[in-house]
Amino acid sequence: MKKVMVLLLACMVLLTACSSGSNNKEQTASGGEGDSKTKEITIWAWDPKFNIAALNIAKEAYNAKHPDVKVNIVEFAQADIIQKMNTGLNSGTTKGLPNIVLIEDYRAQGFLQAYPDSFSDLTGKIKPADFAEYKIGPTSYNGKQYGVPFDSGVAGLYVRKDYIEQAGYKLDDLKDMDWKQYIEMGKKVKEKTGKDIITLDPNDLGILRMMIQSAGSWYLKEDGKTPDLAGNAALKEAFSLYKEMMEANIVKANADWSQFIASINNGDVATVPTGNWITPSVKAESSQSGKWAIMPMPKLPTTPNSVHATNLGGSSWYVMNIPGSDTAADFLAETFGSDADLYQKLLTDVGAIGTLKSASQGEAYSKPDEFFGGEKTVSNFAKWTAEIPKVNYGISTYAIEDILVVEMQNFLNGKSLDQALNDAQAQAEAQIK
Amino acid sequence: MKADRQGMSIRVKNAFTGWSFILIAVLMIAAFYFYPMIQALILSFKTGRGANLSFTGWSNYERLLTDKTFFTALKNTFIYLIIQVPIMIILALFISVLLNDSKLKFRGFFRTAIFLPCVTSLVAYSVVFKYLFGTNGLINTMLMKLSIIGTPIEWITDPFWAKITIIIAITWRWTGYNMIFYLSALQNIDNSIYEAARIDGASSFKQFFKITIPMLKPIILFTSITSTIGTLQLFDEVLNITKGGPGNATLSISQYIYNLSFKYTADFGYAATVSYSIVLIIVALSLIQFRVAGDRK
Repeated sequence: MKKVMVLLLACMVLLTACSSGSNNKEQTASGGEGDSKTKEITIWAWDPKFNIAALNIAKEAYNAKHPDVKVNIVEFAQADIIQKMNTGLNSGTTKGLPNIVLIEDYRAQGFLQAYPDSFSDLTGKIKPADFAEYKIGPTSYNGKQYGVPFDSGVAGLYVRKDYIEQAGYKLDDLKDMDWKQYIEMGKKVKEKTGKDIITLDPNDLGILRMMIQSAGSWYLKEDGKTPDLAGNAALKEAFSLYKEMMEANIVKANADWSQFIASINNGDVATVPTGNWITPSVKAESSQSGKWAIMPMPKLPTTPNSVHATNLGGSSWYVMNIPGSDTAADFLAETFGSDADLYQKLLTDVGAIGTLKSASQGEAYSKPDEFFGGEKTVSNFAKWTAEIPKVNYGISTYAIEDILVVEMQNFLNGKSLDQALNDAQAQAEAQIK
Repeated sequence: MKADRQGMSIRVKNAFTGWSFILIAVLMIAAFYFYPMIQALILSFKTGRGANLSFTGWSNYERLLTDKTFFTALKNTFIYLIIQVPIMIILALFISVLLNDSKLKFRGFFRTAIFLPCVTSLVAYSVVFKYLFGTNGLINTMLMKLSIIGTPIEWITDPFWAKITIIIAITWRWTGYNMIFYLSALQNIDNSIYEAARIDGASSFKQFFKITIPMLKPIILFTSITSTIGTLQLFDEVLNITKGGPGNATLSISQYIYNLSFKYTADFGYAATVSYSIVLIIVALSLIQFRVAGDRK
């Protein structure tokens, strides 16, 4: 009988261990005084060449002043971070979650709204006005500043000078170009060099996002909730341009990131319109040094507000409301939140362009880049950053984009544009409640 | 009277000992299978983002019935099911009969070679397939060199070919798995039946259709049910080879559940509803298969 009792007890322990997760909610909400003394923090981020490298520099700078704080930096793929955050926060246990986490701006509102109280309010620790204005939308919620804006995501048109010169263009011709002229250029480049002008992944409408943001427009209205697809002039124009590009036979299809990078490095495409975070990958092919240039983004030809500056991706730091949050907030406030000198180092060592306004006056920002023909690429990017129209990404970027990807295929296969966008609108309205 | 009472207590004691042996297993199954299943069912009646869930009754199920993406995923999954499962079952049957021939040399080698795909990691083989079928991949290069095609086939980025790629991938991986079941079943068929058939003058084809297939019927039923369930849960291949694209052309139901939970702003309630739709479909299909192929008692 004793053995049976032991067995029963063992099972009870096991079951309580399984269900204890739900009791940890108090911890999440409190983050009280006793907790703030924790001197060890953990940070999650993706991309070893960019974000992790930047973190290491920040850690070094912070530890020089606070040697007693232990900073653990953990690298995960972005998809893994999202999955771990969602499962962790949803199960109610914050064990195993980091103190600081990097979140893409498109997803930030989703996290802030889906898990209120899980992130620390940093309003008193950093000054939102110190950062580029368009970064404040995604990083704040209900009037409180939750994120420390980081990677700018400012986009530019990376151009193979040799290809476009063969097609009879000069770099100056590209300075004030619209997407219509871009397609014309693509046809000429194809004719003269046999190279495609651009490489696109049919599952990724990043180019559409860049086009519409350049006109201050987004998939959602300014409230961040109402889908704005059917009557959206910028989106309509972007759809038509996308189809025109496809039908001109100047697009090389790619199926993922590595094929995307391969077409750039193999010299298969003449231009790459994308976020500045591509710079390290373009530079990875050192034999092409001097052949590339970075030009301003083309704008939409007929949408009036469209400018030559837009954004793709970009991410910011968030502090989680768990023991150690004060140390974590302090870490961010002293490094990415205010240290202009740190940003100079980030730029020279990593090539990371931040969004702290005061950093853009530094020396590193006006250094010419030999790979890009001795241009001052960073100060150009910094200039464009200031021009990016502010939009509210809302919480459903990727859900809506999946709907649009389907309607884009339908549109390419002959469905009328209005019908395609109306259908997308109806579906988005049914899904986003 | 006394004896009677003792009898009772022995019976109780025996029952108790018996139950205590399986107690751990029962509790484990209850904790790790039934508890999550019931929680998921409760979850499917809640809506909201992330942790802000509230009970809204049937609203998720109503949404399911009007959800175009869900029906696209359902349609894709059924296309895989209707095309891929029969091809694979027939192929596995055919190969297993060939490899069961006692006169065949290197039988062990062939068996291992055909079984090997299904011990590879799902993700690893998906990634390899993605590169084999890339626009500049090995398959296109080979077909071009052999002058079978003039321009590369867009295996991954064209809606039609992407489906074909997925079907080829899952057939490659799972045929050997089913073949093993048929091989072991074939070895249980008494050789004297075939001898008698041969003496009676039955051709190889007749033997196959009149003896082999009827004798394998329970195994064929088993493999088709497990393959159906496997196909309805298809996830790794689609996520890793095509990401569901282009334009949801290869999206499977499981991947849709993943997207709802992790790619979009987390909507676990609705994701649970979609999961339960798979449960219902599997139960229905299995019942039909039992009815059609199973022995009626």
